[in-house]
Amino acid sequence: MDHTKVQASATRRGIKRLIPWLCLLAIIAMWTIARFDAAPPAHAQEGENDSHHAIAGRVVDEQGTPVSEATVRLTLEEGAEPTDETETQPDGSFLLLLPDSVEPHNLYLEVNRLHFAGQHIKLERPDMAELQAEGTLVLDDIVLARRLGISFWATTATFVLMLVLIATERLHKTLAALLAVAIIFTVSLVGGGINDNLYVFDFEHALEFVDFDVIFLLMGMMIVIGVIEETGIFQWLAYQAYRLSRGHVWLLSLILMSVTAITSAMLDNVTTMLLMAPISLQIALAVGINPLALLIPQVLASNVGGLATLVGEPTNILIGSYAGFSFNDFLVHLTPGVVLALLGLFGYTLLRYRKQYMQHSAGLSPALLARLKHNAEIQDIDKLKKAGIVFGGLLLLFIFGEPLHLPPAIAAIIGAVVMLLWVHPDIEQMMGVVDWTTLIFFIGLFIVIGAVEEVGLISLTAGAIGRLVAGNLPLAMLAVVWLAAIISGIVDNVPFTAAMLPVVAHLSAIIPGAGNNMLFYALAVGAAMGGNTTLIGASANLVTAGISDRAGYPITFKRFLAIGLPSVLVTTTLGTIWLFIHFF
Amino acid sequence: MGKILCATRGGEAAIETQEAAIRRAIDQNDELIFFYVVDIEFLVHAAYALRSDIVEEEIDKMGEFLLAMAVERAEQQGKQATAIVRHGNFIEELIKTVTEEGITLVVLGRPANDRSRFELEQVKKLARRIVDKTGTEVWIPGIELP
Repeated sequence: MDHTKVQASATRRGIKRLIPWLCLLAIIAMWTIARFDAAPPAHAQEGENDSHHAIAGRVVDEQGTPVSEATVRLTLEEGAEPTDETETQPDGSFLLLLPDSVEPHNLYLEVNRLHFAGQHIKLERPDMAELQAEGTLVLDDIVLARRLGISFWATTATFVLMLVLIATERLHKTLAALLAVAIIFTVSLVGGGINDNLYVFDFEHALEFVDFDVIFLLMGMMIVIGVIEETGIFQWLAYQAYRLSRGHVWLLSLILMSVTAITSAMLDNVTTMLLMAPISLQIALAVGINPLALLIPQVLASNVGGLATLVGEPTNILIGSYAGFSFNDFLVHLTPGVVLALLGLFGYTLLRYRKQYMQHSAGLSPALLARLKHNAEIQDIDKLKKAGIVFGGLLLLFIFGEPLHLPPAIAAIIGAVVMLLWVHPDIEQMMGVVDWTTLIFFIGLFIVIGAVEEVGLISLTAGAIGRLVAGNLPLAMLAVVWLAAIISGIVDNVPFTAAMLPVVAHLSAIIPGAGNNMLFYALAVGAAMGGNTTLIGASANLVTAGISDRAGYPITFKRFLAIGLPSVLVTTTLGTIWLFIHFF
Repeated sequence: MGKILCATRGGEAAIETQEAAIRRAIDQNDELIFFYVVDIEFLVHAAYALRSDIVEEEIDKMGEFLLAMAVERAEQQGKQATAIVRHGNFIEELIKTVTEEGITLVVLGRPANDRSRFELEQVKKLARRIVDKTGTEVWIPGIELP
């Protein structure tokens, strides 16, 4: 009796555990189906109408960027009821149809879009003649001018407030982003009810700006990394670097930097440094040098190495998802540049620390060496093997998933699910590993950036940068790389990169020759490498400083700047050289 | 025979404090304990997923390693010593350990040379707090306490 009860209870618990994963799989399945079973475009549906006359065109803003969701009305008389009406597509295009029964003498177009000044266009006689003769009239681009109303200023002020709160750490960045979202919705929905000019967008439209590929990719990778962290592989790798170097400190540093760069590229740099810094510090004491001579080069290599892949840096995830880059795109267009920059960083490190590295090893007692070895042991070989197989499979999915229409986000979720089912089935603990605060920060940030894009701040900024570089592509690339590097050294590079994405998209659209996305790679290089400038430039720097401080070796802001700034000049210059070699 | 608790983190600045504690323990023939607290408050800076339990374990190992170095240093001078690693807030854990272990003297390190005057004041304030809470004597080598 008792046995049956226990069995039933265990079955219930088993089913209960499976429910979240079944839900997750259902979501993935629905998403996949939705992608393949997309509705036909609006034009195709409209094309079924029995009409002989069609008017096509494109609506753009003053920078030449397509304007979507603009209402285009066709009337026979100015101000009359429309004969046909449509909304522009994401590429700004529209198609209006004129029924057979209508014999047009005069035709008028009304183009309206929120946050833009409306356009009223009378079709001229040659246009009418072409329409009558050909049956189709393709208009020149219709340019809408931005209307900078109260909503523009209110949203811009809110955006600046959010950046200031994040930069000064007056509020947690997630709270700062949520505060900005709350202000924007209050202004838009409550204020918009009182004064139309305050309206920014509604909730549904705001959600369209949230990039769920980024959210799912981050979530999947968080779970994968959470499981790998348990294996002790990071600590073991650091100890192997110590063994391989055979007492040569310069070689130890180079191996540690290489291992850190590679693991940062595959996983993430914060986790890598959190788990490698304590053991590296013990190794430094074992070879009798100041631990900062190993830790600082390691964290510099970590930030540079993270740039090599789609999943190595949150900024890469943002850029990759926005620009539609695959895992392989990063490998082809950025990884060789990262290798070049790392070689430069190696040279800089050896030059900078030559005195410390030439010191003779003080040597540890056999007891302390045994403790060091013990501290770097693999915790669970079986778990490591399984995690290694799953992670290897995940990398294959990243690399070969593109022809299968498998986006990196889904690959990461599949990897996470397999990791949980096979390697570490404790769902409760793993859900705790997912950094929901960060995910909510990203959602808030996307909405705020969406709002500033909607009201026109992004296109104005892009226009200003475009004028500054005067349509010169090499100059634009230099501007993007170095602006990103400088700003990322001072403020959190995630909100900066998120804000720069639509700016770079505008620049790519308006600067001749920039259509191959090279400016997005320039942004990735600047945002990642700039993080090495100051102690606050990257989270990995701060957590490394936290660990070394707990061992009595504080990394001050000044000390980090003195070593980090020249390294940024070296690596960013080499990164820029690579971009020029590769893209020009 | 008294009990000396030397709160240390390792590091070049801490060696001076450890040496002072060892000398005093030898002179007074007191028991010597090195003390380290694992504090992971800095993880608020990690804006990404992390296993705080694993990070805490790694810092625990690092703390044990640093204390093992201190114990070895004492043994090289002929003084047996032990080590205690605790987890949590440094001040709270220190006061708790002083009470639980029946410590007669707490040795604290002074801030490294490149630290500010403000931090020295913080250490002095901590010393006063330990005295107030536990009645145990506190010694900061090289610093005169009121």
